[in-house]
Amino acid sequence: MDHTAIPGVSGYAPAPPAARMENHGSHMVKIAMTGGQDVFARSGSMVAYEGFVQYEANPPAVRQAASQWLTGEGAPLMKCSGDGLLYLADYGADVVCLNLDNEAMSVNGTNLLAFDAHLQWGVERVKGLAKFSGQGMFNVGISGTGWVALTSRGTPVVVDCGRGEDETYVDPDALVAWSSGLKMKGKRSMKAGALIGRGSGEAYQIAFSGRGFVVVQPSEDSTDRLRVRG
Amino acid sequence: MAREFQRGHKAKISDLTAGTDLYVGVRISAPGLSFDISCFGLDADERLSDDRYFVFFNQPESPEGAIRLLGAQAGDTESFRVTLDRIPTNVQKISFTATIDGDGQMSRTDPGYLRIVAGGEEVARYSFDGSEFTTERAVMLGDFYLKDVWRFAAVGQGFDGGLEALLKHFGGEVLEEEPAPAPAPQAAPGFAPPAGPAPGFAPPAPPAPAQQAHPPAPAPQQAPPPPAAPVPAQPPFGQPAQPAGPSHGGGPAQPGFPGQAAPPVAPPSAPVPPAPTAPGQALPNPFGQPPAPQQPFGQAPGHPGAPQAPQMPQIPQGPAAGIGAALEKYREAPTGQRWTLQNPALIRADLSHDGQGVLARQGSMVLYQGKVDFSYKGAGFAGRIIGNATGQEMQLMRCTGRGQVFFAENAAHVHPIELQGDAVCVSADNVLAFDETLQYEVRRIDGHGIPGGALFTMQFQGTGTVVVKTQGTPVVLPVTPTTFADSQAVVAWSAGAQVIISSQVRLRRNAYPGHSGETVNLQFRGAPGNFIVVQPYEV
Repeated sequence: MDHTAIPGVSGYAPAPPAARMENHGSHMVKIAMTGGQDVFARSGSMVAYEGFVQYEANPPAVRQAASQWLTGEGAPLMKCSGDGLLYLADYGADVVCLNLDNEAMSVNGTNLLAFDAHLQWGVERVKGLAKFSGQGMFNVGISGTGWVALTSRGTPVVVDCGRGEDETYVDPDALVAWSSGLKMKGKRSMKAGALIGRGSGEAYQIAFSGRGFVVVQPSEDSTDRLRVRG
Repeated sequence: MAREFQRGHKAKISDLTAGTDLYVGVRISAPGLSFDISCFGLDADERLSDDRYFVFFNQPESPEGAIRLLGAQAGDTESFRVTLDRIPTNVQKISFTATIDGDGQMSRTDPGYLRIVAGGEEVARYSFDGSEFTTERAVMLGDFYLKDVWRFAAVGQGFDGGLEALLKHFGGEVLEEEPAPAPAPQAAPGFAPPAGPAPGFAPPAPPAPAQQAHPPAPAPQQAPPPPAAPVPAQPPFGQPAQPAGPSHGGGPAQPGFPGQAAPPVAPPSAPVPPAPTAPGQALPNPFGQPPAPQQPFGQAPGHPGAPQAPQMPQIPQGPAAGIGAALEKYREAPTGQRWTLQNPALIRADLSHDGQGVLARQGSMVLYQGKVDFSYKGAGFAGRIIGNATGQEMQLMRCTGRGQVFFAENAAHVHPIELQGDAVCVSADNVLAFDETLQYEVRRIDGHGIPGGALFTMQFQGTGTVVVKTQGTPVVLPVTPTTFADSQAVVAWSAGAQVIISSQVRLRRNAYPGHSGETVNLQFRGAPGNFIVVQPYEV
């Protein structure tokens, strides 16, 4: 039976691919795969695929690039290659597809869903921040020309950083991505009151300065669900 | 009623007034100082590509008369008439600036304003005073800019170097020591349209250039280096040329500034002497960053993870629009209001100087800009009693200062409820943030079977906004004689409604056949017009 014949279902059929990565709905990304155009995706993020796609967990290239990954377990990335359509999602999080045009950006590790394998990328540790953040903050720098898919819990917001002389302060758990050129540093806004249990709940932020943008999700849930599942 | 703008606020002109013939008045003064107030008509690259659109005391009108200098009147130090629908299409932005004539610092400025008057009525006013500035000698006060429609932005950004630096900033390359010809505006080759880098990410909206604090601010995003335009590699400000020689100490050293060298009439102002700061050190050039480093992540070329020779894919690649275009729809939504819903799950509060803080659930801040202080806020005496009794004290923090704070929690939908003397009860779990001006009290609704022993509600009263969060799209029900809600799903109700704990036994017998699994229900009673809000989520 053709799915187009079922009234409640036909509306969700995928549109023919118009770009290498594009949204299907707001929570799923559809990647048009062809041979030789590999994609790195978060392990466990695949929800469906059509065609002939192969997956290689923790390939040597990733292992080397991600040797600084905080936990030392190796990067939770898999290399996807082949021909077909690949559908990825991360527990219902919003997905944002970006087409880098010889640009560079940094992405919070838990918010990276997939990216073209030919992009330049590397794992960056954020100095001084890892010990504050619950997850252990790491981020992935990506540059070049190609596609990147990010996840965001809830619709993200993009804020210009260099608008005034003031810095932009972001809760690390809500941070999704930012321009690579920004200077960042940790800021502890803790006061004496926090020591006796009267903290404001906002103990530390990441301060961005410079000219560029910051992408923030409206949630402080930075749980890496794909990793939690194992 | 004039809308008050704060620094950084933006609004569509059409939201302010239906007219397009606007009067812009600027009042700025300081003891012992005189100011030059000018208007720059900029192109899409924020450049003064046509210097006939630099409207100042020496050139009081743009060619077609769309921008006209009117002079001091009606309490304004300077005033302009701007006819938006006559502005040519190549002018995308009209920036109003004030520069100190001579030596001085913006911090000495008396309280002033930029106001927009349309149809004889003041529709917008952006007030500023010297405390917002430090040693700057120029300030960009406000912009009209074209982004689909004409909009107004209150900028209020200081600029170190005075009018000359401002001109360079807008005009790009400025010829040095050019003996400025007569005030023939055309004859200023210094204003050759620069092949400025397309500000890839930056929309024309925020002018946001001079970041005094971070001179080498790298902005690779903003300058996706156009290979054909090597101009950005040469910061106009950074040019060591500008031999501010002693030969013209304080004289008409206005290179490339057409009419300035010999001002025939200079009623309010004399020629501006060269900036005391050597150009190139204190003035970072926002457009002049060198191209972004291509390998910022320390990966050696030929790294196995990044196979070189990335041959372009043959499959549909989609528009190579870059990050900026893709993120445009998620861009911060600016308005002049105190509370702005950015998207269904995120709300922004603008804290202004009036010192009115915001109380918010602890940890709900996701981002802030400006100088904002977060401090502990107890639930008050009554709240603490309840808290101590049950361990359910609502944890609040107080946000004060100046800036924008973004609140969100767990991607829950947020709903600002504006109270104007009304009262509303909100389940304490669903309060995200509220204005400090609101009076609130914590109440408990006891009932056997309610998890934790009681349902805590906060009753808000007064004038202000309370932001409520719900999981999922809520439903608003009118209160009828038979309105029931689950105690865990109910979010808020109008304070006129009376809450009754429905007896389980009776409920089960009357309303639910068998064992419904619904342990506790609240019944609401009230006059018509009362409502309750219920979320599709039971914690």
